[in-house]
Amino acid sequence: MNGSNPERTLLLAIGNSGRKDDGLGWAFGEALERTGLFRGTVRYRYQLQVEDAALVSTFDHVIFVDACREPLANGFEWRPQPPAPVFHFTTHALPPGAVLFLCQSLYEHLPKAHCLLVEGRAWELATGLTPPAREHLDRALRFFLALVQPGQATS
Amino acid sequence: MQRKIVIEPVTRVEGHGKVTIHLDAEGKVRESFFHIVEFRGFERFIQGHPYWEVPTLVQRLCGICPVSHHLAASKAVDMLSGLRPEDLSPTASKVRRLLHYSQTLQSHALHFFYLAAPDLLFGLDAPPEKRNVVGVALEHKDLARKGILLRKFGQEVIRILAGKRIHGVCAVPGGVYKAMTDAETRRLLTGDSQLPSMDTVIDWAQETVDFIRDYHTRHAAWLDTFASYPSGHLSLVSADTGALELYHGRLRAIDADGNLRLDNVPDTDYRKHFLEAVQSWTFLKFPYLKDFGPENGWSRVGPLARLNTCTHLTTPLAEAARQAYVGFHGQQVNHHTMHYHWARLIEMLHCAEVMRDLLSDPDITGNDLLREGSRQPEGIGVVEAPRGTLIHHYQADEKGQVTQCNLIVSTTHNNEPMNRAVQWVAERVLSGKKELTEGMLNQVEVAIRAYDPCLSCATHAVGQMPLAVKLLDHQGNVLDERIKS
Repeated sequence: MNGSNPERTLLLAIGNSGRKDDGLGWAFGEALERTGLFRGTVRYRYQLQVEDAALVSTFDHVIFVDACREPLANGFEWRPQPPAPVFHFTTHALPPGAVLFLCQSLYEHLPKAHCLLVEGRAWELATGLTPPAREHLDRALRFFLALVQPGQATS
Repeated sequence: MQRKIVIEPVTRVEGHGKVTIHLDAEGKVRESFFHIVEFRGFERFIQGHPYWEVPTLVQRLCGICPVSHHLAASKAVDMLSGLRPEDLSPTASKVRRLLHYSQTLQSHALHFFYLAAPDLLFGLDAPPEKRNVVGVALEHKDLARKGILLRKFGQEVIRILAGKRIHGVCAVPGGVYKAMTDAETRRLLTGDSQLPSMDTVIDWAQETVDFIRDYHTRHAAWLDTFASYPSGHLSLVSADTGALELYHGRLRAIDADGNLRLDNVPDTDYRKHFLEAVQSWTFLKFPYLKDFGPENGWSRVGPLARLNTCTHLTTPLAEAARQAYVGFHGQQVNHHTMHYHWARLIEMLHCAEVMRDLLSDPDITGNDLLREGSRQPEGIGVVEAPRGTLIHHYQADEKGQVTQCNLIVSTTHNNEPMNRAVQWVAERVLSGKKELTEGMLNQVEVAIRAYDPCLSCATHAVGQMPLAVKLLDHQGNVLDERIKS
């Protein structure tokens, strides 16, 4: 992850910290930045939007981090994210695959891309993560740090 | 047999709405409704908070036009602090104005390039999977790229002044937190590898105006008739000249023939002139001019209305575009709903020109940021938000806690107009048809979309908001339906 050109890696932390575990994406980004081990760029988004295709087009590797409502093995899931012309009707928000699809279509550049999904449990209007979500966040962070700095991940 | 059509959610608008169209036994339209079914709550839960928190809290009404709410509330909070708009320092006033015009630029770019362009470029009957921003991106790459960068430019100014592109904080009671720096203004004026220059933004805005003007030439029969109907129009205008004014001015309202209903009315006097009606089938209220009653006193707001009420625009390129626009429709008052798009793009050009002037003004980098006044019990702030006239009104007790809040947002003014537009489509497109096609139902949405409604703002909603058309018979049975989430 911090390979030959770490500055060309973008981590997009997605969510809303005002809705309990929907804040997992932002919490992950903040925790990662606190470690000082990730040398790429971290950006925070409530939703992905069309203009994020322009941002993504300037990086070689993009990681989308978001909360997930579905149960996940180990509480998180790391998976490749392909471009996909999938658009929902909620006008402004786009899924990661659609941002990549637009990036490829408009800017003729397709970065390597992954999604890191972290399982949440509660989504009401309140700040703070639930205990299970915190546990999932810790596991996801340890996993990611092992990718970023093999051998330096905290236990 | 009576039937009812339900379109739920209505797409490519901000928020959650639903359209129902009731048919009689012959399939003729009997009545239609544009319902807003979201919870309305901000006016209530803002109460009890310190008044100085209000500009930060109420901008959470919306993720698209938070700056408008932030600034309308800030103007009201200035008044609670004993300050009139003219009491603020030149730097604070110009920073706020730059923030507001940048927000309008990015909001208009978002609406045209992402939401409206698919209908215009691909037609009403194009497949739904093509009628979206991806369709635009695939077939009109240059247009899409420019749209993205126009929006990005406006958002970048917001980020610089407010700290974040969405829900940042710039204004405080009596002024602003920060001004621009020389380096920031220089970067915006000259551009860099990630951002076009201010002049390029103006050029692209001009190209977009040229595009819609030429589009009108080729599609006048549609644009000059679709969902058109006579109405009154309302906006702020410059107190001195009657020019288009988005940040601070006097209220002006005209009737369908262009006769003045309100003129030179201080925004703080809005209560003397407006009332709001309610209907049981929607959370959205129906504002109207009380001297003319709920049946005749409603007005359209937003770009179409603003270009009807103002005498001119203060920037040369946009004023030339306005004159060409007025020349095309050739009427004293333009009632063509689809001309909202044209008017919106002229405003986008105007905003870009104003932004260039402000970025070139030495006051924009000044350090006189705050003024102080004596506490007052009541504050009212009115701005022209991208979608129209936005009114914020608060009262606070001696401890500074908010005791009363009233918000009349742009989309609320356009509630009756949007219902009229839906009725127009229902009667002329859907009525009497044995079979309803997706393209026919889309025309209902096209009529609503022209207003660029923000339903989350209008209801001050909390929560996720997909938007929903239903066809029901006289017994209430659903015969056709579109639901999207």
